[in-house]
Amino acid sequence: MTRRFFLACAALLAIAGWAAPPALAQSADRGAAGAKFIQDLGQRAIGVLTQQNVSRDEIRREFRAILQEGFDVPYIGRFVLGRYWQQATPQQQQEYLQLVERMIVDIYADRFAQYAGQDLAVDQNLKILGTRAEGETDTIVSSQIVPANAPPVAVDWRVRDRDGRRKVIDVAVENVSMSVTQRNEFASVIQRGGGQVEALLQALRQRVRAG
Amino acid sequence: MTSLRTRTSFGRVAALVLTLLAMPLAGCATAGRETTAAADDANDPLEGLNRTVYGFNQIADFLIINPAAEIYRTVLPDPVERSVRNFLRNLSSPLVLANQLLQGDWEGAKNAGSRFVINTVGGVGGLFDVADGMGYPYQHEDFGQTLGVWGLPEGAYLVLPILGPSSLRDATGIGVEWFSDPVNILAENNGYGWVPITRGATTGLDARNEYRGVIDDVRRNSIDPYAQFRSLYRQRRASEIRDGRSAPGGTTEFPEFEDTPATPAR
Repeated sequence: MTRRFFLACAALLAIAGWAAPPALAQSADRGAAGAKFIQDLGQRAIGVLTQQNVSRDEIRREFRAILQEGFDVPYIGRFVLGRYWQQATPQQQQEYLQLVERMIVDIYADRFAQYAGQDLAVDQNLKILGTRAEGETDTIVSSQIVPANAPPVAVDWRVRDRDGRRKVIDVAVENVSMSVTQRNEFASVIQRGGGQVEALLQALRQRVRAG
Repeated sequence: MTSLRTRTSFGRVAALVLTLLAMPLAGCATAGRETTAAADDANDPLEGLNRTVYGFNQIADFLIINPAAEIYRTVLPDPVERSVRNFLRNLSSPLVLANQLLQGDWEGAKNAGSRFVINTVGGVGGLFDVADGMGYPYQHEDFGQTLGVWGLPEGAYLVLPILGPSSLRDATGIGVEWFSDPVNILAENNGYGWVPITRGATTGLDARNEYRGVIDDVRRNSIDPYAQFRSLYRQRRASEIRDGRSAPGGTTEFPEFEDTPATPAR
């Protein structure tokens, strides 16, 4: 049922891309552009991860650069602090953003490396299944990542379009949003620390020092 | 044999007690505001107790469960492991079918029924999932989900000993299924009391291996693993209740922040 649905979506997308009359529209264009954006991003990321004869540090550096370019990391950082952002002093906000950006890049890099097989081409590894518009600015690009020895994983990318500049602002794996999970976790750390943003900063500092 | 029987009935009594406890509590929770996993509200009034059980589970995992799962993984070749999983899933298809019917999901019921017949007959008693290739993919359904479809709120978040993340609603579901699983009832009535226990233990090991990636990920990346497991569990269950469809109008908002500063200098 779901497979058939996805196939239908993929087919629809293909048809929309080729045959949609210009009047039929912007949202189809936006979807196609979003899908292409994710496809390119995945291609570049896997290209970096599967380089031969390049040091691990260099691979990590290049991967981080791609993440910073393709993801709106400051936005994600701001989002996951939720309502506690207003509570933080400007200095805390500054420090938080620096720490959280490192953490987000680390985590996304870690997860991507886990899912991406080492010896598969990207078109086998990352399948775009469809797109849907979400509000005025966002496109959800549904994809499937097929790891080497495991069942496929459903990954939805939320792409925000700001005057033609696209950035990923959330990734949902099997309908579980990474940003929401992170926000819930941070809220818990702060609540357990007596409602103080400082408690979170402390945990983040520790993590960065350890990592 | 007798000792096994005794343990089984103890398990049943425990499940019954849990069910009876959970029922009214889940009812109470209805009075409160239904919260979504996306909200900051963690829905965890029993957090202190839950964290204690969570700590206990971590130790049990370190000492027993993970080592056992690792042995299981190492000893069994991949195809055998897959067959065990297929077999266990096939055993639970009567329950899945019942839950699909209770949820009024006729398509899903057709899928579960077809899977059971195809895999039992063509998949050598369920060892091979031939139905998947024929357009009948596995779908996980349980009574907790059914209660969710019926509109029962999740109730407080719960961490169960050994079983891990749950909720009042889902623990109720586990209790009800324990009593109503046709395979277990059949086995019990015919004097095969070891069947439900063996099945339960194997299902546990298989599940531990299935979630290994997620568990390792959380342990590597999280600054509050308990909170992260809680969030993952709640989002996952909400999605399962919707059968993977996106929430109607209830998705998390991703506002444009007026106050987001530019990327700080590195």
